[in-house]
Amino acid sequence: MGITIKEVSKAFGTFAAVKNVNLEIPTGDFVALLGPSGSGKTTLLRMIAGLEGLDSGNIFFDEIDYTYKPIKERNVGFVFQNYALFKHMTIFENIAFGLKVRPRKTRPSKNVIADKVNELLKLVQLDHLATRYPSQLSGGQRQRIALARALAVEPDVLLLDEPFGALDAKVRQELRHWLREIHQKLNITTIFVTHDQEEALEMADTVVVMNQGKIEQIGTPEEVYQKPANAFVYSFLGRVNEFRGSALFEDNEENIGYIRPHEIVLRKILQGNSVSSEVSHIHIIGSTVRFELRRQDTNDLFEAEMSIEQYQNFSPVKKGDILYAEFKNIVVFNTNSANEITLTEKSGIRTSLKSKLI
Amino acid sequence: MIVQETTIQAKRLNANSQPFLLKKWLLITIALGFLGIFILVPLIAVFTEGLSKGIELYFAALTEKDALSAIKLTLITAAISIPVNTIFGVVAAWAIAKFNFKGKNILITLIDIPFAVSPVIAGLVFVLLFGSQGLLGPFLEANNIKIIFGVPGIVLATIFVTFPFVVRELLPIMQEQGTEEEQAAITLGASGWQMFFRVTLPNIKWGLLYGVILCNARAMGEFGAVSVVSGHIRGLTNTIPLHVEILYNEYNFSAAFAVASLLALLAIVTLILKSIVEWKTKK
Repeated sequence: MGITIKEVSKAFGTFAAVKNVNLEIPTGDFVALLGPSGSGKTTLLRMIAGLEGLDSGNIFFDEIDYTYKPIKERNVGFVFQNYALFKHMTIFENIAFGLKVRPRKTRPSKNVIADKVNELLKLVQLDHLATRYPSQLSGGQRQRIALARALAVEPDVLLLDEPFGALDAKVRQELRHWLREIHQKLNITTIFVTHDQEEALEMADTVVVMNQGKIEQIGTPEEVYQKPANAFVYSFLGRVNEFRGSALFEDNEENIGYIRPHEIVLRKILQGNSVSSEVSHIHIIGSTVRFELRRQDTNDLFEAEMSIEQYQNFSPVKKGDILYAEFKNIVVFNTNSANEITLTEKSGIRTSLKSKLI
Repeated sequence: MIVQETTIQAKRLNANSQPFLLKKWLLITIALGFLGIFILVPLIAVFTEGLSKGIELYFAALTEKDALSAIKLTLITAAISIPVNTIFGVVAAWAIAKFNFKGKNILITLIDIPFAVSPVIAGLVFVLLFGSQGLLGPFLEANNIKIIFGVPGIVLATIFVTFPFVVRELLPIMQEQGTEEEQAAITLGASGWQMFFRVTLPNIKWGLLYGVILCNARAMGEFGAVSVVSGHIRGLTNTIPLHVEILYNEYNFSAAFAVASLLALLAIVTLILKSIVEWKTKK
C-alpha cells in the first residue's frame, strides 16, 4: 500500500514538531526516516499510524483519505521502540493477540490462529520460545517477537520506531540483515525511524533526511550520501570536518566548507597545496586508520582516514610527526541561500579558522 | 537481586561482626518490643476480654439481634462503597496516569483530601449538606428522602473516607507502565474494552487488589465520619464500630470486646491477604 503525506503539520504546545511535510511512499518501498532527536521523525511515523493527530494536512493510503481514520481500522503494524510486549502473556499469546481480538465474524478458528502463530514464530526463528514470557527473552528476541506480533494481523504498512535503538552493536547488525530479508520476502511497505545514519544507509531503499520538523532530502542511500542537498545532510551523513570563516572563501563569513576524513590526502613531503599538520592521535579501527591532526597555520583539529594497507605503506608515523594534508574537493555551502558552491582546485590553501570534528 | 543484596549484607556483617551484631540485636529487640506492647498485647487483650465470660457468652454477644444488624449494615456499606471506589479509583488513576490535561495537579490534591481531613469533619460536611438544617435538607425532606441518620448517609461517608485507597495504590503503577502496551493493543485492532480487560487490567490487578483490601479494611472499621451521620439508632443505623462503642459505654465489656474481636479478626485477615498480594507482586 502506498502512502501520500500532504502538507502535514503538528505542534506540541508551542513546539512545532512537524512543519508542512510532503512525502510520497510507493507500495513496497523500504523507507528510513533519518534525523537527529527532535527532528519530528517519530511524530511523523506516529501520525501515519494514527497514534498522533495532525494539526493540518492529510494522509492518504492508496489515495484514500486516512487522516481521520481510527487506529484500529488502519491495519498498520507498529513496532514500538521498547517493543511494548504484553508482559502478562506468553510469546504465543502475544503474537495471537491481534487475531484473537477480532470480531467473532472475522475471527479465525483456534487452530487457524495456532497455525498462523507457529508460522510467524518460524519466520522470526524463535519457535522454541512460544511458552515463555517476554521477561525471559533477550532484547533481540523481544524485538523479533514484537515484529511477529505486528505481522500477525497482515498489515498493509509496517512502521518501526527506532527498531534497534536498545540493542547492542552485534545483535543490531544481525537484525538489520534479518529485517531486510523479511521485507524482501513479504514485500510490505515499511517505514522505520532511526537516528543512526549507518543503519539508514545500509537498510533502506529510500532515505528521508529530516531536521527540525522538515524534510531536508529524499533519495536513495547513494544519492543522499554522494549528492547531499544541503549542508545539514552533508554533515549529518557520515563523519565530516567542518571549516568555516573568512579565510575559507573570499572573506565570506556565511560559507561553511565540509570535507570527509577519507577525502583528505596525507603526505610526508610537501607537494602541491598542502597544509602542514601535527599528528595528535592515531586510532586503528579494524580496516581503517583514523588520524587526529592539528593544523599548524590555524591550530585547528581535524580528522583524516586511510585504509590499513595505505597506512602500512605510509608508516612509520607516530604522535607528534608533521604531515602535509591536502584538502581536495572541499564542499562549500552558503548558510543563507543553502546553495552549494563546490571548490575543486582551490583546495583549501589558507582554509578555515575553525574546524570541527563531527 | 534480593540474593545479591543479602550476600552484600552478609559481607558487611563479617567485616565488623561483633559490634555490628550487638547493634543489630539491640535494634531488633527495640522494634519487636515496641510492636509487642503497642500492637500484639492489645490484640490479645481484645480476644481474652471477649472470651473472659466463656465461649457461649462470646457467641451470644455476636449473634444477638442488634449485633447481627450491625454486622449486616457493615457488610452492606462495604459491599456498596468498595465497588464504587474501585470503579472510580480506576477511572481517576487512568485519567491522571495516561492523559495530560489542565487541572491534573488539582485533581491529585482533591483525591488526597479524605486522607488529610479528620473523618469527623468529613461526617459533618455531609450533615451540613444533607441534614434537615443543611443546604439540600428542605428539598430532601419535601421529597421524603432520608440520607442523614440513615443507611445512605453512612454509605456516602464511607465512600468519602475510603476513596483515596484504590487511586493512590494504582497511580504509581499506571504511571510507571506508561501507554505503550495499550497503544500496541489498539494498533493490533483491539477495541477500547478489549484493551482494558486484556491489557490494562491484568497489568494492574495486584495493585488493584491491594487497594481494594485496604479500602475494605477501612470501610468496615471507619468510626468518626460514620458516627456523625449515623444517629446511633440501635438495630438500624449502627455499624460494628458504633455497636462496640455503645456496648462499651453501657459497661457491657465482654460483649463489647467480643464484637470488637470481629474487627480485630478482619485486621488479621487483611494483613495476611496484604502480605500474599505483596509477595505476588514482587514475583
